[in-house]
Amino acid sequence: MKKRLYIELENCIGCRSCLAACTQCGGHEQRNRNYVYDVNPHVNRQTMPLMCLHCENPACARSCPAQAIQIHETGAVLSALVEKCIGCQNCTIACPYGIPKFDEEENLMYKCDLCIDRTKDGIPPMCASVCPSNTLQWLTEEEIEQKQRRHDLDNDKWVTSMPYLEGATNVKVNLPGILQGTEKLF
Amino acid sequence: MQRDKFFKEIENVKHPNEKLIKTHCSYCGMQCGMNLRVNTATNKIIGVEPRYDWPVTVGKMCPKGVTAYQQTNHDDRILRPLIRDDASLKGTKEGFREASWEEAYDLIAEKFGELQENYGKDSLSVFSGVSMTNEKCYLTGKFARVALGTRYIDYNGRFCMSSAAGGFLRSFGVDRGSTLPWTDIHETDCLFIAGSNTAECHPTSMFRIWNVQERGGYIIVVDPRETPIARRADLHLDLKPGTDLALANGIVHLLIEKGYADEEFVNQHTNGFEETKELVKQFTPEYTSYLTGVAPEKIERAAEIYGKAPNAIVMFARGIEQQHKGVDNVSGYTNMALVTGKIGRPKSGVATFTGQGNGQGGREHGQKSDLLPGYRKLTNPQHVQEVCNVWGITPEEMPKPGVSAYEMFELMDQKEIRGLYLLCSNPAVSAPNLNFVRSALKKLDFMVCADFYLSESAEFADVILPSVTWSEDEGTVTNIEGRVIKINKAQEPLGESKPDWQMQVELAERLGKGKNFAHLKTAKDVAEEFRLASKGGSADYYGATWDKIEKQDGVFWPCKDEKDEGTPHMFLDKKFYHPDGKAQICALPYRPPAEEPCEEYPLRLTTGRVVYHYLSGNQTRRIKFLKDMCPEPYVEVHPDTAAIYDMEHDERIRLYTRRGEAVYKVKVTEAIRKDTVFVPYHFGHEESINLLTIPALDPKSRMPEFKACAAQMQKLDSKKVL
Ligand code: SF4
Ligand code: SF4
Ligand code: SF4
Ligand code: SF4
Repeated sequence: MKKRLYIELENCIGCRSCLAACTQCGGHEQRNRNYVYDVNPHVNRQTMPLMCLHCENPACARSCPAQAIQIHETGAVLSALVEKCIGCQNCTIACPYGIPKFDEEENLMYKCDLCIDRTKDGIPPMCASVCPSNTLQWLTEEEIEQKQRRHDLDNDKWVTSMPYLEGATNVKVNLPGILQGTEKLF
Repeated sequence: MQRDKFFKEIENVKHPNEKLIKTHCSYCGMQCGMNLRVNTATNKIIGVEPRYDWPVTVGKMCPKGVTAYQQTNHDDRILRPLIRDDASLKGTKEGFREASWEEAYDLIAEKFGELQENYGKDSLSVFSGVSMTNEKCYLTGKFARVALGTRYIDYNGRFCMSSAAGGFLRSFGVDRGSTLPWTDIHETDCLFIAGSNTAECHPTSMFRIWNVQERGGYIIVVDPRETPIARRADLHLDLKPGTDLALANGIVHLLIEKGYADEEFVNQHTNGFEETKELVKQFTPEYTSYLTGVAPEKIERAAEIYGKAPNAIVMFARGIEQQHKGVDNVSGYTNMALVTGKIGRPKSGVATFTGQGNGQGGREHGQKSDLLPGYRKLTNPQHVQEVCNVWGITPEEMPKPGVSAYEMFELMDQKEIRGLYLLCSNPAVSAPNLNFVRSALKKLDFMVCADFYLSESAEFADVILPSVTWSEDEGTVTNIEGRVIKINKAQEPLGESKPDWQMQVELAERLGKGKNFAHLKTAKDVAEEFRLASKGGSADYYGATWDKIEKQDGVFWPCKDEKDEGTPHMFLDKKFYHPDGKAQICALPYRPPAEEPCEEYPLRLTTGRVVYHYLSGNQTRRIKFLKDMCPEPYVEVHPDTAAIYDMEHDERIRLYTRRGEAVYKVKVTEAIRKDTVFVPYHFGHEESINLLTIPALDPKSRMPEFKACAAQMQKLDSKKVL
């Protein structure tokens, strides 16, 4: 059963365990590939992870003059191929979310590869494995559909992923507000 | 066992030339399951892999856990014993030279011997900690009382869990930190969480906690700060630091007045209801609001939600416990569960968030000045006899009760205590009123420190013994739930380092007590003796064998024999541990914090943790990722308050109290009360907020009031800084 990375922004507690864990994946060479932002640091403690969404038609790959960014059969948009990347940094500008990072020393782009070492065998990526708040989850299509039904309030407001994001993505995102439709027990 | 909807069968990634060692995190009471990745060629730990099959945390870890493995082969490890001959260098890192174990042991035996000959048995002391296995905690108590023969042993749980212990003992007659397993949390209907910055201090509880809201249940958070959990809570009671008992009384009053009391439960299973009902009457919403600063409507709403909830769990942590009425706060909030009968059944109960990895087990087995293994009392002759039988000494040889952690520093200052054996703790950062504590440590004639890094406290030592990290030894730990779990060894001790139990056995030999220790050759030997010593006590671990722990995913104490599967839920039979089987509802008069704000010191100072650091930071400040995320302390100030003081975000300012001062960067945030400032306590030397904190001790638990004292801020004269 195909599984996807699913993000429920409302849950994030800003622990940055996802960053720490990203370094632990094979081939990540101790460098993390995602971001966590303080949304409004002087006001409250709201935080959110910013992850590569593994776009179905990724701007980063489209912008690459050297075809260094490959798309895996699982849909994961991979990190730049060492032998092809020319260090032009087009991708870092093309990505609407500023995801690809750049290693100045190696003159090489690196980005989230959805922990391809793990996810190609159906094992959850490191970030979703450790995330203590279930902001990042690794779910089946069915589970994501359930979430979508639950949080779709029919008012264009709290839907999963589209239409707020750039285009169709493999990663699904639930914007803050998931609790608004929850019926209280008593 | 206890596999719930969060549990998924997932296979781990296997890399070539690697093996995975199942174990748990070295840090907090959550004791998240983890696999350590070990290179099979070098036999060294090289990383971490989630442990999806651990039923409590299902692979989840906070950033401390993810990076915990980096402690083991860290460059800062002490690899050989260190001796410092020049005592004038005490309080610095300077002057240590490497020595052999022989030389170090000989010196310790000689100096300890001299001190005891000249000043009596009790001139020595042991200061310990609970971030280590039950076996080590148990043996440390025996080491102090049998090998050294001193009454002065105590531990850092006095700065952590002792108020929870005192409160539970009074309310229930037994001190198990949680009356239910963590796998119940997401199934309850209301969580009432007081004084716990859960998202930062016990992050891997959060997926269960948020799920309560997803199911339509409620989260009520009591905290002076809008912590990440308070931000999303249904109700945030933003009280003034140090006023918890008033709030607890106010809510209990409303629960009774509005008819939420469970009369049948109260009559059959509790004492003290009428007296308490009388006492809390004066805590009307208005009066409670006046004392706590929380709006009356919020107090009423909190009582209504908790009262109506079919099932509810009252939870708390250091925020309410680190006060000079910490024990009363614990019993006060516990009253909510006892009055409404929301205890002694699944999905309802009371729990404290255990701070240290083995904060639960470590306090039960004889490191506390007045306790012996199995939660036995030194003042009970029968208890003493039972332990003497296991230890092979006579009751006459058993030292009397000593004093609490902070009071030991007072005795050092008075030169009554002249020697110290310190392990598993860093009181030069974690104790309150540090100017005094550091000067007391300096006065010691001879100090030994066992640690794997050169901590701020080790800077006061004459001899440093290199101990191992958690990953280089095995044994059991009792997690936040009261579940006994197994820590496994992933690597041989680095350099010449040794586990604490082994040092103590070898030192006992030098001190002429070999006959009581020599049979303990492995961690397992210590475990067997420890189980036996706990047998028959209220914290009975006799049935918690290593095999059973492996088979059952841990064993909840009490577990009395081989057949007993342990006790995940306490009090299911509605029997409490007081002699009459009833729980105690406590009538608790309110007292304000020991030091209230005044004209000179108008602010309330409170302290706590950040997600990236653990306790004194001796470990986590050395881990690059964690250090990068939070390199230095800061003072959180509300923007309105900052405006009054003309202070800006990131400006360095002087913060001071009657006891000390420090310079911090201001962090301006609306997520704190206007009358309160907050500083995290993980930092050493001149950055320690404990230079400022007050050593006002709880009369029962001897817990210092870290969470509330009066303070003042001042802009730095910019010319003077440089
Ligand atoms: S691990 Fe999860 S909760 Fe922590 S910062 Fe990342 S997304 Fe947020
Ligand atoms: S989010 Fe950015 S980096 Fe990721 S696939 Fe899309 S365009 Fe590329
Ligand atoms: S999926 Fe893997 S590579 Fe991508 S951010 Fe998460 S841990 Fe890093
Ligand atoms: S510090 Fe606590 S919450 Fe974090 S990984 Fe370790 S045991 Fe789990």
